[in-house]
Amino acid sequence: MYYLGVDVGSVSTDLVLLDKKMNVIEKIYLRTRGKPINAIQDGFRLLKSKYDGIEINAVGATGSGRQIASTLIGADAVKNEITAHAIASLEVNKDVRTIIEIGGQDSKIIIIRNGIVCDFAMNTVCAAGTGSFLDRQAERLDIPIEEFGEYALKASTSVRIAGRCAVFAESDMIHKQSLGYNDSEIIRGLCDALVRNYINNIGKGKEIVPKVFFQGGVAANIGMKNAFEQALGFEMFIPEHYNMMGAIGVAIIAKEIVEKKGNTNFKGLNLAESKFITKSFDCEGCTNQCEVVKITENNSTIGYFGDRCGKWCNKLIIPSKKLLA
Amino acid sequence: MKITFPHMGNIYLAAKALFDGLGVEYIIPPQNSKKALEIGSLYSPEEICLPFKIMIGNYIQAIEKGADTIILPGSCGPCRFGEYCEMQIMLLKRLGYNLDFIVIDAPTDIGIRELYRRLNKISSKSNKSINTKMKSIFDAIKVMNLIDEIEASVHNFAGHEKISGECKSILNNCKKDALNCNSPKEMIDLLMNYKEKTNHISLNINRNPLKIAIIGEIYTVIEPFANLYIEDKLMDFGVSTKRMLTPSWWVKNTALLPTKLNSLNIKKSSKKYLSLNIGGHARECIGEAVLVESDDFDGAIQIFPMGCMPEIVSKSILPKISKDKDFPIMSLVVDEMTGDAGYVTRIEAFIDLLERRRNNVLFRS
Repeated sequence: MYYLGVDVGSVSTDLVLLDKKMNVIEKIYLRTRGKPINAIQDGFRLLKSKYDGIEINAVGATGSGRQIASTLIGADAVKNEITAHAIASLEVNKDVRTIIEIGGQDSKIIIIRNGIVCDFAMNTVCAAGTGSFLDRQAERLDIPIEEFGEYALKASTSVRIAGRCAVFAESDMIHKQSLGYNDSEIIRGLCDALVRNYINNIGKGKEIVPKVFFQGGVAANIGMKNAFEQALGFEMFIPEHYNMMGAIGVAIIAKEIVEKKGNTNFKGLNLAESKFITKSFDCEGCTNQCEVVKITENNSTIGYFGDRCGKWCNKLIIPSKKLLA
Repeated sequence: MKITFPHMGNIYLAAKALFDGLGVEYIIPPQNSKKALEIGSLYSPEEICLPFKIMIGNYIQAIEKGADTIILPGSCGPCRFGEYCEMQIMLLKRLGYNLDFIVIDAPTDIGIRELYRRLNKISSKSNKSINTKMKSIFDAIKVMNLIDEIEASVHNFAGHEKISGECKSILNNCKKDALNCNSPKEMIDLLMNYKEKTNHISLNINRNPLKIAIIGEIYTVIEPFANLYIEDKLMDFGVSTKRMLTPSWWVKNTALLPTKLNSLNIKKSSKKYLSLNIGGHARECIGEAVLVESDDFDGAIQIFPMGCMPEIVSKSILPKISKDKDFPIMSLVVDEMTGDAGYVTRIEAFIDLLERRRNNVLFRS
């Protein structure tokens, strides 16, 4: 008995396989690179090579690409990342009260009281302070992103960098570089700036109380963890599977849904061999002119997205859509 | 003379009834779309708020279809909307269009005489009798009130409907049919008919749906294209919604403004948090948040365009209300993005959150 969770994010596509005791037995981390379908297929290929023939009882999809993922794989649960993250964290520790999650293009804070989510906030129109920004700066400084955090720890002082806007933070950083500060001081300054931005922006008006979980791809950055702990004044916990929490959460949700309804919609691990083609067209049905995307699998249409009136997307009822309603 | 005007929600239906009644030629700009926004952002100042850009798109698309006179909504108000008309006139002139502009300002700002003079530019083109002219104005107001009422009922009933999607399809059909009417009378009859229909939607009375209020900046809450069709999305989720800011509310509020008797309930409820009018509809936003909280709503969603100054103020007051009253409020900022994945995530998560607070369950199934 296994449960599969798929999190298609802006930067990474994560797949986790849980056993019936909710232990993670396999995790796959792939770069999405703007091609969610390929990433999902690659992930399934890897899964198939290792676990061909196992019985997968429930599948869930989350992340910004959850709709397309659900169409492809036949997901039982399609849930937003916030709920998925909260559920995964509560599974790890019932006492968690604040979740700080920083992903590729979004960052969020989730406030949990008495085991339920009572408040959350997400970045609005700006991606300053998220993983993509760190990624880009690491590339610019020619430091592998994995070592980025270590550098910050080496610095004894921090250079003040404006963290309000990613573009201006970058110019500020370049300016400080040309003044001769070393890389580690600048990286530490950058981490401090991002934390400042997070607390003032996302965390505005929210009470951050322990126990705090730090998750999402950025949690791998030890420099960010340190900067947060200094700003908050207490320790943060990084769950073991910090970068897979969304996928774990949605696998748990899928399990519960399948237990209620009795069967799974999962299409099997063979989809890696299918040929998926997406095509978009402007619907001429009315003045709305929706941009509709059509997905075909081996020449048979499996789903439509993007129309507002339901003319296309209701043509093929995606089982997962019903669950949302 | 071919008149055109910018879109804002269903205002085009009232305008159609008015001009049909007056017998004046008019052009309804194509429905708001990415195309309108693209044209708008090409010519508008980069930092201006979203409604400006969409409006410019509307004007230019209508001009392409032959419009030569533009009715602009004016306001000498203390937010950037106050400079919309001047900037838009300048912008369109610079683009080389030869147009006539009619700016409709509130009589409190320009005086009733000046307003009358401006309105006369339109009415002098009509060869109808003064009685017919008056009647068309009342008909247009009636159309506006009717469509607002229909919209409010379907948004409210969406949480109770037995056949999922019925409310949404009634509203869509209503708008589509109304656009095909040839006279104000025909349109009013049709709308009355649809209003009757909304009373016969089969409802599940036992269902206790989530109730969410839509608050925030007036253009972005009313114009579905600007808020990425949030009300349609909430209808799909089976959530009952309510929005106080409507074109009919606006007309009533503006008409009552000189007497200071406008929106008394909003003024009263916002007093504790924001006692001044700071421009835009910030005070309304705060007042509504307080009002709906006491009206048994589960939560509120605030929507405003990026850079909207009054709403930035209300956005920073809302967390205080949220905390004082233990009432969830989410703010959404809209801009030129038409990809709605991020919005859907936030809306879904917000609905999950409300459901969880109510039933103490982990997620909505």
